[in-house]
Amino acid sequence: MAKYIIKRVILAILSILIVSAITFFVMELIPGGPFNKEKATSAQAQAVLEERYNLDKPVQVQYVLYMRNILHGDWGVSLKTGRDIWNNITSKFAVSARLGGTAAILAIIAGLILGSLAALTRNRWPDRLIVFFTTLATAMPSFVLATLLLLVFCLQLRLIPVWSPTNPNYILPIIALSLYPMAYVTRLAKTSMLDALGQDYIRTAKAKGVSTVKVIFLHALRNALIPVITYVGPMVAYILTGSMVVENIFTIGGLGTEFVTSITNRDYPTIMAVTLFLAILMVIANLLTDIAYKLVDPRITFN
Amino acid sequence: MKKKIVSVLLAASMILSLTACGGSGNAGAGASSTEAGSEAAATASVTNTASNVLAINLASEPDYLDPTLSSSSDGGSLAENSFAGLYRYNQQEELVPAIASEMPEVSDDGITYTVKLKETKWSDGSDLTANDFVYSWNRAVDEKTAADYGYLFDVIKHKDDGTLEVEATDDYTLVITLAAPCPYFTSLMAFPTFFPVPQASVEAADPDGTNPGAWAQEAGFVSNGAYTLSEWKHNESMVYVKNPNYYDAENVTMDELHFMLSADDTAIYAAYNSGDLDFADTVPNDEVPALKSNPEFHVIDNLGTYYLAFNVGADLFKDKTAQQAADIRHAIALLIDRRYIVDTVAQCDQIPADSYIPVGMSDGNGGIFKDDKVSYYDAESTDVEQAKSLLEGAGYSFTDNGDGTYAISPALTIPYIINENTVHQGVAECIQQDLAVLGIEMNIQTEDWNVFLEDRKKGNYTFAREGWLADFDDPINMLEMFASNSGNDDPQLGKSDSPAAPAWDEYDKLISDIKSTTDFAKRVEMMHQAEDMLMNTWAVIPVYYYNDLYVQKGNVDGVYSTIFGHKFFMYATKK
Repeated sequence: MAKYIIKRVILAILSILIVSAITFFVMELIPGGPFNKEKATSAQAQAVLEERYNLDKPVQVQYVLYMRNILHGDWGVSLKTGRDIWNNITSKFAVSARLGGTAAILAIIAGLILGSLAALTRNRWPDRLIVFFTTLATAMPSFVLATLLLLVFCLQLRLIPVWSPTNPNYILPIIALSLYPMAYVTRLAKTSMLDALGQDYIRTAKAKGVSTVKVIFLHALRNALIPVITYVGPMVAYILTGSMVVENIFTIGGLGTEFVTSITNRDYPTIMAVTLFLAILMVIANLLTDIAYKLVDPRITFN
Repeated sequence: MKKKIVSVLLAASMILSLTACGGSGNAGAGASSTEAGSEAAATASVTNTASNVLAINLASEPDYLDPTLSSSSDGGSLAENSFAGLYRYNQQEELVPAIASEMPEVSDDGITYTVKLKETKWSDGSDLTANDFVYSWNRAVDEKTAADYGYLFDVIKHKDDGTLEVEATDDYTLVITLAAPCPYFTSLMAFPTFFPVPQASVEAADPDGTNPGAWAQEAGFVSNGAYTLSEWKHNESMVYVKNPNYYDAENVTMDELHFMLSADDTAIYAAYNSGDLDFADTVPNDEVPALKSNPEFHVIDNLGTYYLAFNVGADLFKDKTAQQAADIRHAIALLIDRRYIVDTVAQCDQIPADSYIPVGMSDGNGGIFKDDKVSYYDAESTDVEQAKSLLEGAGYSFTDNGDGTYAISPALTIPYIINENTVHQGVAECIQQDLAVLGIEMNIQTEDWNVFLEDRKKGNYTFAREGWLADFDDPINMLEMFASNSGNDDPQLGKSDSPAAPAWDEYDKLISDIKSTTDFAKRVEMMHQAEDMLMNTWAVIPVYYYNDLYVQKGNVDGVYSTIFGHKFFMYATKK
């Protein structure tokens, strides 16, 4: 396993290097610039800023300088605000992780419960009800759901403030973010649970007199987890990168908003930093997913 | 309760039907929530915030809170409430002393300004002296600071080493020497770029001079205004608390200002209607007609013009003489139904523009620049016949379609660029229909904001949406941007080498002369001459004069705004 992890880490470093190079050079090709403003920055000020941030140098030199700084732990400052990028990203990530992490856990737990329930009550009303809601949740974009939640709980029922500097509302954005992945996990769990319940080892366990609860939770559910685990990596990516709209609606300063605004502003060091940060995160998530396979299913080998 | 449940279900079904129809997501979602919101606003004005707190939305996260570096309108408002300059505007829009103890003493030749200062303190309790202004102003013109508004200090005489002729003759006396008499210099001293910054904090946060705004990037920085920033959750909120060291602290009524950092119209309007906000500087455009009768909706004057610009070097004018090119642009100007645009798209009772310099702008000689005589066309109507005649002179011919429209030959197709915005899209569609009367095809191209700015600046366009809000109350601010050495000369006047582009040396010279003349009456004449020259190119086509709208809870009073759009909250009261 150690050998496998080392191999994966080497591959991950290579992937991140490729991601960094592609992002850096493609970013430079996008029209626009970081100092474009409605009221033009003076030519002198623009020259000072370009020199300060190495933008007056050829793009390949810029890339080498950037990577050298990264290896020295210097992520640079935002071209738009002058703020330290590392501090900015980590503070935004803390918000996104709290929001996205809770949404992911909610999606997995609720999805597994609902999926199992649907499988165990196949073609009966609980199953039909769950299928109806999962179809609805899959079809409904998160911004529509977020707006609906805002309308109902903040404006109509007035249970939660739309915005508060002292008591920010995380309940509604977590629901808005988790509903789609929850519906997806429910469907995955239901399908794999049904598949597992039809297997010989389940029949054998039942024949041996193992209780239904044990059959479901110790045997069927464990096997039903594998496809769900496969989905966890992409789900984390979906939640982290797709949270911008939800963050905007609920005025939450997370990484999703940071990513999108950095691109709009052509804030090159921030674009690079967020991309690399997310790439590293994804690589780690995928590695953990693979290790989780092994823990859940001993038949899977790393060779 | 039953009614609530029904309304919730109705709202839910509305949103679901929007989803099912696959309509425009944002617009649909916005319309749904804001309709419910406007109902709430009309029936009961709710506020959840404490009586000593004002909850406000101006815009999203500001780039800079350093008044020297900030160049946005919301940044200007934040600066006005957390810093104080020598002068400020009061509720009657008069310039009154702030850190200065009296109005400036001006020498007979109009060159030397002597300003006496009050004995005031920074928020950390240290003394604020005339030297702080000397430092701050020289920092603003230092190339290393790269301040967007550094050019505003051009009116002050520069020494050989590039620093300003500004001296602190004692701790509380500032002597400023101008390069030439400047009728608007006192108002410049009320502009945020002229506010002082604390030297010790600035230098401690940026010892190597590579990150000039570093000292004000988090809460807790030293300032000298009515409020200091105590908490900043980036992209979420800012909490300002009353500064006991402010020179007018005893008259500051609100203990705290809470800012919602968002540019999402739907979220802002929902927060306003739920009572989480007392003041919002924006409302969804779709809501404006319904809000007009609501006493919480306010429309105030702004000093600026929404206009359209032609790139005088565009291929559209290839093979035309300079006069023919101007005639084509003139014809377009005559075809635009400005009244219709104002009534159906802009919707805030804006005045259709018949000049570039807006109504109400001072002339720098004690008067108002635009009077009834300054009118370049009838802004209330179109003139299809004259437009047709001008285009015929430029080589086009027309065939009557028999339904009040014409076919043009050869075909005339004009690409028009806008940035993504419902108002700009609406204006563009109105103009598209207006031009279609003479068979002119206008292709609307929506661009990403950053690309849009770059295309306009570099002249990679034919016809574009434009707008300018004045930085100070003098026409030169809106005229000098078309000098060929200006970064804001989007029409490329004086920059294009196309034979169809107008000669522009005379304009450049005129702008230079306006800036150096000592005769203010003559200066007014020269500025009229400059506007005439600009308008004669028809590279600039005014549409309407800007105004500013906001919503404010009925129990809030005392918030005021300048014609530059800066809002003052420190003297607000809540019942």
